[in-house]
Amino acid sequence: MKTVSLVKLNEKEKAEVVSILGGQMATKRLVDLGLTAGTRVKILKKAPLFGPVEIELRGSALVLGQGLAAKILVRRGE
Amino acid sequence: MKENKELNIVLAGNANVGKSVIFNHLTGLHQHIGNWPGKTIEKAEGTLHYRGYTINVLDLPGIYSLSTYSTEEIIARDYIASQKPDFIINVVDATHLERNLIFTWQLLELKKPMVLALNMVNLLKEKGIEIDIKKLEKALKIPVVPTAAIYGKGITEILNQGIRSIKRKRATTDPIKYGKEMEEKIGWLTERMAEISSVYPKRWLAIKLLEKDKIIEKLFEKKNSEILEQAKIFRSELKKVHGHDPSIMIADERCHLVSQVVKEAVRVTEPQATGLNERLDNITCHKILGFPTMIFILGLVFLSVFQFGNRLSYLLEKLSFGWEKWYEGMFGVSLWTYLGWSVAESAFALIQIALPYIFPFYFLLFFLEDWGYLARVAFLMDNFMHKVGVHGKACIPLMLGFGCNVPACLACRIMETRRERFITGVLTTFIPCSAVSVIIIGLVGKFIGLSWALGLYGIAFLTIFVLGKLVSKILPGEATELIMEMPDYKIPHFRTVILQTWFRLKEFIVIAGPVVIISGIVIRMIRFTDWLTAVADWLSPITVNWLGLPAITGVLLIFGILRKELILVMLAALLGTADFSQILSPRQMVTLALVSMFYFPCLATFAAFRKEFGLKEAIGVASFKIIFAIIYGGLFYRLGLLF
Repeated sequence: MKTVSLVKLNEKEKAEVVSILGGQMATKRLVDLGLTAGTRVKILKKAPLFGPVEIELRGSALVLGQGLAAKILVRRGE
Repeated sequence: MKENKELNIVLAGNANVGKSVIFNHLTGLHQHIGNWPGKTIEKAEGTLHYRGYTINVLDLPGIYSLSTYSTEEIIARDYIASQKPDFIINVVDATHLERNLIFTWQLLELKKPMVLALNMVNLLKEKGIEIDIKKLEKALKIPVVPTAAIYGKGITEILNQGIRSIKRKRATTDPIKYGKEMEEKIGWLTERMAEISSVYPKRWLAIKLLEKDKIIEKLFEKKNSEILEQAKIFRSELKKVHGHDPSIMIADERCHLVSQVVKEAVRVTEPQATGLNERLDNITCHKILGFPTMIFILGLVFLSVFQFGNRLSYLLEKLSFGWEKWYEGMFGVSLWTYLGWSVAESAFALIQIALPYIFPFYFLLFFLEDWGYLARVAFLMDNFMHKVGVHGKACIPLMLGFGCNVPACLACRIMETRRERFITGVLTTFIPCSAVSVIIIGLVGKFIGLSWALGLYGIAFLTIFVLGKLVSKILPGEATELIMEMPDYKIPHFRTVILQTWFRLKEFIVIAGPVVIISGIVIRMIRFTDWLTAVADWLSPITVNWLGLPAITGVLLIFGILRKELILVMLAALLGTADFSQILSPRQMVTLALVSMFYFPCLATFAAFRKEFGLKEAIGVASFKIIFAIIYGGLFYRLGLLF
């Protein structure tokens, strides 16, 4: 299965995190918030005009800026 | 009293978990909000007496990790390790247990007695979440106390459990075991540390070395460089095998262990919630409806504050009338009573801005924050704010700026990096505060028309936009991306909102108070010594020749440095009438309002800015603003000739 960037998903779509392309700092911070490879996420909302993305992650809602979300690679599907 | 012992405890946890609500319940009004030494990070301390103990409570900043991502994190771990609190209260949001427990795991590694306050249990039922407390206690090996902090439930039980855990004196066992490979390396490093004395637990040091924690590495640099070398070898070994940095691997394993605990102890069924909050969320973040809703809500806030403010301000004005005569009759007329009156007058001016405008405005803003709406504003505005070089959270200090720039400057602390704090700080000084709004509405709005007043706000926004773009281009470093948890909508908690408002108002009074009172005395002195015409003449090349204003405005602008609303007050005093159209043409009114809006950020804001960003930076921004406002005003005046 092909991996895509998180921002490519539509609202309500589910996916599994494959890897994070961001720098060490951003990656560490995301991992501290529980966003690790293999985690299941669901797109809750996408802000209008290419704004940030809100995802469901480990039972909580997290908002990620567009640029950061673009660096998170995921695999589509249940 | 044999039993009167002192205990030191800390509250630790993520942001928005109700930590400060618990802190307020514990300490009531016996609290002191200051700064960490040398840092611009808030330090909240308080005391209480309970069962013969005097308990000092410290509320640590809300954080998500104990690494070196932010100063808050470093402060928290240093404090816990070096000050050795008798126990830690780790506050977690029961409705988002899994994410919260990731931080709990890190706290456990510091090996201090700890109690888990499982907060917001009152919301579990409607969300369809069941938590097995016994299983959670067994997995974490610490007492777990369910609490509903906003109703004050479970608070004393936390203390009981904490005191019991000290008496038991049971060392907390290592709760976390990483994978075999990682444990071998941690074990090897821990053994070599036998002779090292440090406030931190050895195992924790070993983990931090594998995580390549820069501050911990420094501890080893001089005397124990061989341990450092070995850690480096281990790191590259791990990286070669797994393709990831060990710090990521460790965090990864933590997440994995946490999710196993959650799987054991938490059961999620169908939520019972009415779905009202969800519907509200869908509208307020909607692709098309989101923005109009935001404009409506914020517009309502601004309008109602100004309606309320104008009325109250008028009432206060009436109330204050005639007191000077009474004062003079009471104390006579001399230089000292003259100065004394100026102090009273300044204090009253402070109340005139704080009570009618800042107080209701901040009350409504913190109401919106507690409700959950401000996070939605950050979500909607993030994209736009990025164009100005900061992310969506910058909206919050910028909005506070409409009340007063002083608390707005201090609120820039919510931004993560210094670069973003600075950009946001500079931009807040360009936001028309309530004093500037008094000028815009009282001069331009009243004598020319509301559309012109709104136009001035438009110019302010445009200026902020262009400047933000410029500053973010000039300053080195990259823009940080927004990472923010989205809180659920909840019924705002009145006490929390009032307390928040009060703390901000207190900040305003503490910083602005002395500046306003001293400047009040200075104003009196200047008027007393009759320097007015000299100052007016001296500034006339700028005011008359370049800005096209009457010479008297030079004096007004000097006073405006002290407090911006003085520009109108003094104008009325010097003219002997509030009918400004007698002396100023409409074009001059707009020019004066424009210059007042952008030139020197009043002295109190200057003081706040210096406190947050340093003297050099404050002088730099202030000089830039003065030059900018003069150029802008002059250009406008010349352009205005065309109309």
